[in-house]
Amino acid sequence: MNQIIKITFALTISCVIAASAMGLAYTVTAKAKKHNHHMNVQNAMIGLLGFGKDNPAPSDLKFLNVYRYIVEDGDKKFLGYMVPVEKGSEEAYEMVLIDLEGNFVEKLEVPISAEKAEEDRDRATALEKVLAPPKIFTYADASVIATAGGKRLGYVLPGKFPGFRTFIHALVAMDPKFELLGLEIMEHEEDAGLGKEIEQEYFRNQFKGKTYEKLKTLEVIKKPLPMEYKKYLEKSKWEEGMFTEEQIAEIRKQYKDADIYAITASTISSKAVTGGVKNVAKKFAYRIGKLDSVLKKEKIHAAF
Amino acid sequence: MAIKEKTNTQLFVDGILSENPIFRLALSMCPAVGISTSVMNGILLGTAVLFVQVCSSCTISLVRNYIHPKIRIPTYTLTIATWVTVIDLVLAAYMPVAYKAMGLFVRLIVAFAIITMRLEMFASREPLQKSFFDGLGMGLGFMFAMMVLGFVRELLGSGMILGYDVLGFKPLLFFVLPCAGFFVVGIMMGFFNWIEVVYKRKKEV
Repeated sequence: MNQIIKITFALTISCVIAASAMGLAYTVTAKAKKHNHHMNVQNAMIGLLGFGKDNPAPSDLKFLNVYRYIVEDGDKKFLGYMVPVEKGSEEAYEMVLIDLEGNFVEKLEVPISAEKAEEDRDRATALEKVLAPPKIFTYADASVIATAGGKRLGYVLPGKFPGFRTFIHALVAMDPKFELLGLEIMEHEEDAGLGKEIEQEYFRNQFKGKTYEKLKTLEVIKKPLPMEYKKYLEKSKWEEGMFTEEQIAEIRKQYKDADIYAITASTISSKAVTGGVKNVAKKFAYRIGKLDSVLKKEKIHAAF
Repeated sequence: MAIKEKTNTQLFVDGILSENPIFRLALSMCPAVGISTSVMNGILLGTAVLFVQVCSSCTISLVRNYIHPKIRIPTYTLTIATWVTVIDLVLAAYMPVAYKAMGLFVRLIVAFAIITMRLEMFASREPLQKSFFDGLGMGLGFMFAMMVLGFVRELLGSGMILGYDVLGFKPLLFFVLPCAGFFVVGIMMGFFNWIEVVYKRKKEV
């Protein structure tokens, strides 16, 4: 009996010490870790918009977040968009409520700074002040609108859709006319050598340049990827003089309206990504259209 | 005991050569067979093991007099798990580039036999300084073994060394497959044993 107590005590003490060490390490590193994640996303977004080494991003490039909420008031449902608005030199946020038919309902000022708006928790506290019960709000998603020099450069939309194993997290970039600018896979757990190939350029870059019209009917085809097209898609492996300007133009023209070539032995993953991208893009194009027309009608000067 | 007479340098060298974790002690064979498909993998996993081994050895050596003998194994596991978590977090926060390459390997280490075995056999009995050198030797020995295995398998399997194409063709694809790990490890073990036999015979003469 005595020994049991002794052992229990010793084990508890060891666990507490180990837990505090891990907790301490977590607290110390949490901020830097978050910063790294933020920078990763930021860099991915800049890359998706087509900026890189040879084509530096403009200095006034800004990423503005539009947060979408679902607001319930009794048995009525609204969509709530928290949009950054221009108000002198300061950035402010306004909550625009739209009903399900796309008609404007209400606009509310949200007292929050740009920095704090990025935190889910801070945003919820600020919104609680404006949307008091019986109104209930639930966070849906955030879309990013890239602007430079007062013009919209494009949209970056986070997408989460089921893959072969678990959810695939991706970023989809579109230009203001909803033409696809690129796709970046952020997180996934697909099998190495099979579904993991969705990370590869030869798959991701197939989406680049697809028009909105094409996107609506985009499908996955089970045919081998033509060698020449594969070489063209793997941009980071290009060597000097591998393609002439004419060749590039020709390949681009030839495959502009091509469907997505499935990854060998990973049709499910390929279909999941294609379907996911289609879904994200189509829904966003519909929503931003409604939101834009409301903003215009109500003369709300959004920052984008 | 024989261990007590060894100097720090001897402990260090023993870990790499005559007591090499993979070739002589035959411990932690799973990673040796599974991951040693390239030199780079060997270096990354070796570095991770080196850090965790040294840190855990030192910790256990420091608290060796307070560990209840009946729960020593859970304590070792706890120590290793703590160090693995801490190193994982620190890498993720301050060395994102290294973390991208090493992240997966670091998390694998919790289950490695070599670390637990060194804590049980050595660090729980010896003072801090000796444990440190033993940990260092064992870690480097593991890294060395993984690199040798990776070298053979990468060269024969994919014709490359560290990702650079040296042969220009792939001699035997078989070598990058998991089962080839057994052959390479077996042959290397035999080679090390043979060296020892030859060395001893020379000494006798």
